[in-house]
Amino acid sequence: MALPITRPPRSAHAVTPPLKKRPMKDWVRAVFFLLPAALFVLTFVYVPAGMSLVLGFFHYHLLGINTTFAGLYNFHSALTFGVFWIAFRNTLYYAVLMIPTTIFGAVLIALLIHGSSRFYAIIRTAVLLPYITPVIATSIGWLWMFNPQYGMMNAVLGWFHIPPSQWLLSPSMAMPAVALYSLWHGLGFDVIIVLAALSNVPTTVLEAATIDGATHWRKFWRVTLPFISPTMFFLVIITTIATLQAFSQVYALSGGKGGPEYATTTLLLLIYQTAFQDFHFSYAAAMAILLVLMILGLTLFQRWLSTKWVFYQ
Amino acid sequence: MSRYTLKSSQGLRILVSVVVGVMFLFPLYIAFVTSLDTKADVFTFPPHLLPAFDWEPYVHVWHMARWPMYFGNTLFITLTTIAIALTTSILAAYALSFLKFRYREAIFVIFLLVLMVPAEALLIPNYVILHLMGLLNTYWAQILIYGGSVFGIFLLRQFFLSLPQSYWDAARIDGAGHLRFLWSVALPMARPVLFTIGLYIFIGSWNSFQWPLIVTSSHHVQPIEVAVSRLMLAHSVDWRRLSAAGIMATMPLVILFFFVQKYLIRGIGRGEGTQG
Repeated sequence: MALPITRPPRSAHAVTPPLKKRPMKDWVRAVFFLLPAALFVLTFVYVPAGMSLVLGFFHYHLLGINTTFAGLYNFHSALTFGVFWIAFRNTLYYAVLMIPTTIFGAVLIALLIHGSSRFYAIIRTAVLLPYITPVIATSIGWLWMFNPQYGMMNAVLGWFHIPPSQWLLSPSMAMPAVALYSLWHGLGFDVIIVLAALSNVPTTVLEAATIDGATHWRKFWRVTLPFISPTMFFLVIITTIATLQAFSQVYALSGGKGGPEYATTTLLLLIYQTAFQDFHFSYAAAMAILLVLMILGLTLFQRWLSTKWVFYQ
Repeated sequence: MSRYTLKSSQGLRILVSVVVGVMFLFPLYIAFVTSLDTKADVFTFPPHLLPAFDWEPYVHVWHMARWPMYFGNTLFITLTTIAIALTTSILAAYALSFLKFRYREAIFVIFLLVLMVPAEALLIPNYVILHLMGLLNTYWAQILIYGGSVFGIFLLRQFFLSLPQSYWDAARIDGAGHLRFLWSVALPMARPVLFTIGLYIFIGSWNSFQWPLIVTSSHHVQPIEVAVSRLMLAHSVDWRRLSAAGIMATMPLVILFFFVQKYLIRGIGRGEGTQG
């Protein structure tokens, strides 16, 4: 590689500076190089992370007047607020809908389209495409599909002689409908991850199993599945974290309200409404801490479960 | 297994694959069809599947909002975010790989720990911080919080560490300083990595909705997703024009996708993109 440098070398002194001075100069330089990134990370991650731990314990107003210590008041109000528990239950329900369907769906589709042919590459493209589309913009088509009178969904149900549903207008079907949208939007990402894991399953082991007369089913159950189980666990973790933070899709499909009858009010939507529509900042901050604790608890629980079924090479 | 059953199982697999592919494309397609419907055509049941190619919804929705401004806002926010995040990441990653100083690894770990901080805990405090800085309701409120990209630092440092130390030694003998070496040698070689990082920031920033919704109230600085959501709340039954707006906001990404999907698939397979 030719260096486009025309400047002649400076004195020998510059080429090999005295050993004593060099670490100091690099150290100073490092400060300048690291400073921009460090300032951003400090200002918008570490400082607010510290603030988030504190805000919930105060009565805080944006104008800065009357900031007083509140103790556990905000947490107590949240935990005795009926809607908080509805949102808590909704968030868990959404996670319960999403996690198994995501893992099953991703593994099934990946097994289906695994292979190097051009045809399956096209299907893979189709499956991944929704993942990069903007949520609000693409939810419009889904709102239309979920329309009880003219929508595609009820037409499909009609083919199978299933009575039509109210979908997003029904308190019992609204959350499953949101989950359906989210699966459509996000599943491609998970499929690609499983495809990558499948291509790493050693073919020698699969061939050995074939020679031993193993059936397709047995090969999948005894070879493929153990090899991709760490990937599946990874998917469980990232799906959990993503679903507990559900916001945009719920906002779009419920017109920003989380209805009908709070049926799609997730915790993050409630936090948004409390903080940025009602301006109860510290109250919402307390809810945010409770949400973080919920995510932490659930991930730790899954980690503990994983010791029972994940196979590490 | 006989030849015949092999063929029929292959046929079944292809058939099911096609059904899966259609299921994922259909919601985009039906929005496209609706956006081109004539007024009389929209409300039919069962829904029709072929567009009527009436462009009126597009013409009309184009005049319902200041789309060039929203597209411009989104583009400005996205490109500025990429420029700032790439610059800070390049400098930090260079220091963390080519410069030698005490606590280098510890500082890298401090950067990595950012990935452990849950984003939803930062919404309210970051709003307060931007309020105190007087930056609410500006472009900067939507840009600065993404100014430091740990994902970018990580990938670039990984790449810089793979460069042989002899490159730097050779450049130094030729009289180059660190900045010169970074600009003329390291960065040109890092182009694929820079592209990957830029791509993820582009998609994340273009599609971001929650944060702009929170920190902006003026139309003049809002991105396209927020504009579409407002249109949605205001005209919830005008399906043709809403669909046209949705298609307009989606199209740029679909086009981009066909150019970059190779990189995306490779990146996701390696586990990138799970953290913006």
